[in-house]
Amino acid sequence: MNAAEVVTVQHLVKRYGHRIAVDDVSLSIREGEIFGIIGPNGAGKTTTVECISGLRAPDSGSISVYGLSPQKDRNRIRELVGVQLQESALPPRLTVGEAVRLFASFYPNPLDPDQLLESLGIGQIDKSQFKSLSGGQKQRLSIALALVGNPRLAILDELTTGLDPEARRETWSLIERMRDRGVTVILVTHFMDEAEKLCDRLALISHGTVRTLDTPEAIAATAGGSRVRFVPSQPVDDQTLRAIPGVNEIERKQRYVTVVGTGDLAPSLIAALAAIGVRVAELEARAGNLEDAFLEMTKEDASRVEGVVES
Amino acid sequence: MTGRSGVRFAELLKVQAKLALREPYAALGGIGLPVILLVVFGFIGRNVPGNVGSTGLTIVDLWIPTILVISFIAISISLPNTLVRDREIGWLRRVSTTPVNPSMLLAAQLVFDLILAALAIVIIILGGALVFGASLHVQILPFGVSLVLSIAEIFALGLVLAALIPSQTFASAVAGLVFFALLFLSGLWVQPAQVGDPLRTIMYYSPSGAAVRAVLDSVFNGGPPYAALLTMAVYTVVFGFIAIRYFRWE
Repeated sequence: MNAAEVVTVQHLVKRYGHRIAVDDVSLSIREGEIFGIIGPNGAGKTTTVECISGLRAPDSGSISVYGLSPQKDRNRIRELVGVQLQESALPPRLTVGEAVRLFASFYPNPLDPDQLLESLGIGQIDKSQFKSLSGGQKQRLSIALALVGNPRLAILDELTTGLDPEARRETWSLIERMRDRGVTVILVTHFMDEAEKLCDRLALISHGTVRTLDTPEAIAATAGGSRVRFVPSQPVDDQTLRAIPGVNEIERKQRYVTVVGTGDLAPSLIAALAAIGVRVAELEARAGNLEDAFLEMTKEDASRVEGVVES
Repeated sequence: MTGRSGVRFAELLKVQAKLALREPYAALGGIGLPVILLVVFGFIGRNVPGNVGSTGLTIVDLWIPTILVISFIAISISLPNTLVRDREIGWLRRVSTTPVNPSMLLAAQLVFDLILAALAIVIIILGGALVFGASLHVQILPFGVSLVLSIAEIFALGLVLAALIPSQTFASAVAGLVFFALLFLSGLWVQPAQVGDPLRTIMYYSPSGAAVRAVLDSVFNGGPPYAALLTMAVYTVVFGFIAIRYFRWE
């Protein structure tokens, strides 16, 4: 192995009653990386990280965090891992400073609470009560609480959900700075742009299983070449489009036609259509991205689950 | 390790105390309400000649044990409000991701409530004696045992409510209902001696009725009846068991 693996999950299974939330998940996380876990709602992302942090006990499979078992070495793990939970609030009248200093007292080698608040840009609201904070301030406080114990691994679950675009970007730079300080980060998200921008590697989880695990670039590449969307001046049938070199797939939505394929798709498309007297308007071309890969994979899943093969 | 646990607990206690004083339901109920009752009964006692039922006692003498128990009830009944909220908003769960077990937070809350109860006892007894001249010739041991058991069973009942009430919406309604039921059974409005039998027995063996009876008898009758002490001990064990069995951190 190149970099040291700090978290290893093998064949994790977790059921809630009869519902299987996580079905045979295996993954490993390397020291110092931002590891993304993406997937649709209810895919099993949160359950997976809850098992890693020791909040839930797996039904089967094994988890090792810094060589420790989250269930057996509860206290040691909690000193090494900082957790930011989805939908977790503080008592409404607890102040920012009190919360961070309280959490600092829980750990053997905490960061300086005042410096931490300053570096997160919330030093000036030290005396504000939780109930009076904005969404962005609450998220920063949540990050502060996850970091004040000076963890080696931080687990951040749906950190930017509900934030406005500016607050999201600021949060992203905080996470990058966290990584720069040597903290390994597990980032759970359902935002593709967030995963694409921040993560060194990511696992796509769908229906409780890992569909793919790689760098964002490599996963995006599986979405295949480029996409060209346009409005033809008159109807063009699929056969004509498929005859154009490089075209693999055709999607139609209202008056828009999107072709997916490889090579110099746009020029050959324009040329081929011009030859039969069709003009191309509102042309938009781009490379396949994470979201395309994600949609394709979850689409395959959906058709597999329903037992329908899409044509 | 023990040193660090001590520091953690002190920090938790400090924070729980600050929070409790910013939302002072327990302090207002546990100290404010008894002080009001003391003043009311104190003035009644001054205007109504002493010697109730040729016992040589004034009204305020007779009511102080009830006021003590009401103070414990008011403190205990604020427990579900705080704990159910802290569970519902995910705070207890958040704490459980740190090296501190959330049971420490619960312990800090209980210690704060015990301090409040101790303060209430001092204020009520000293206030009764100094302001209204209440004569409490207590025998320390039975009086102490009665108070400790009263606090134990009534706090345990508060924890049962915190364990069983699913959400904040229910918490204040259920807690309010239980509060008035306990006040009634303690004999605040009608004393057990004044009512007929099925109700009198119910009052004597209810959590608050047994507490008042034990404290009252240890002040004026030389010692509490064993039945009352045993009743409270059984309640403490049963409530404690239910609370531990059903309490959820999330």
